[in-house]
Amino acid sequence: MSLPTTLRTFVTPSELEFVACQQLVEIVPLISMERTAFISGAYGPLKPPNRVKVPLWLAINLKSKKKCHIVPPSWLTVDNLKERLEEETTNNGFSKLPFRYIEVSKLLLDIAPDDIENPDRLRSLLKDLREARQAKCRSGLSQVDHSELSLPNLCSMELNEIRPFFIQAMSVLTQLVPNSGTNT
Amino acid sequence: MNERHAPDILPAQEVLLNNVLDHLRRQSDAVQLLREDPTTSEEEHLRIVLVQTEIERVKFIVNSYVRTRLYKIENYARFITTNANLQTKLTAAERDYAIRYARINDRHLFATVLQSLPDSQAHLDDEEIAFMPSMINQPNLSKPVFAHALEDCPPVHLPDGSTLQMKKNAISLTHYSVVENFVARGEAELV
Repeated sequence: MSLPTTLRTFVTPSELEFVACQQLVEIVPLISMERTAFISGAYGPLKPPNRVKVPLWLAINLKSKKKCHIVPPSWLTVDNLKERLEEETTNNGFSKLPFRYIEVSKLLLDIAPDDIENPDRLRSLLKDLREARQAKCRSGLSQVDHSELSLPNLCSMELNEIRPFFIQAMSVLTQLVPNSGTNT
Repeated sequence: MNERHAPDILPAQEVLLNNVLDHLRRQSDAVQLLREDPTTSEEEHLRIVLVQTEIERVKFIVNSYVRTRLYKIENYARFITTNANLQTKLTAAERDYAIRYARINDRHLFATVLQSLPDSQAHLDDEEIAFMPSMINQPNLSKPVFAHALEDCPPVHLPDGSTLQMKKNAISLTHYSVVENFVARGEAELV
């Protein structure tokens, strides 16, 4: 068939990772390369030791060939994540994090742990953050009603996680409410 | 990505798609040319590899876009043949395909089941029978979706009568029909 059953209703985490790979990161190249035209735009020229911005997939590719160092984004530091975690556990709302932070941080920690300070500490902080946010997501389910629910600052991976359940819940609620403009 | 999350078929991005395909062709041609050239240096080889990686990435995106559309067209084929509004969102090739697919599907259903049923029930589009779900698949426009506002959106009316104002960067879970216009105008994306 045109689309496998597993992909019909929801996107998979690996697809989200794929999308996140289009984001720009800074690298310090170890080789020089002229400006190269890609389909999504021209990147470069690479001239060590100057920093340049390239898409994440390009950085990962170069990194795995040991041809660059990746500069971790400014939010991916122990101090910043600690602050966020503090915010997360004291406040009710979700704290502000980049929209695709889970994907980007996972890729960077997998591919380039040697370019990041204190990767183990970061990993455990990210895990704590994730658990705190997950718990909030679940308690947020009680607020689902038949027409609208706003979820500020949630990131794409988390949305994907709660999507099946929330959408199902909302559809059922919609069917239960009469005259709400449904065609079911 | 919008196409994957929307229950309805979105307007075809024919110009964009052709553009991307053009780029793809040009890049692959360039790569072919350089590979055959024995004088290319080590450094250029690296660039070729990178360009090829990107070609594969773009191909994947195009693939999944086209597949998603195809799936929706097959699913709603019969509905498309009767709905002129939806037909404007398809390209000519997609429209032909939908009509042909619907015809073949009809013939198949008729040959296997319908012809042996009593005359009054031997049609797919029996609207006079009440309390029966329609046998024609339609896009469910009130399906909830996650919408991410890229710009400030004007307030809209929710089905229960209240209004919703989406500020920039807000994310909200709501019915597709509510945010349909924002998505079409590019003010919001589905995530």
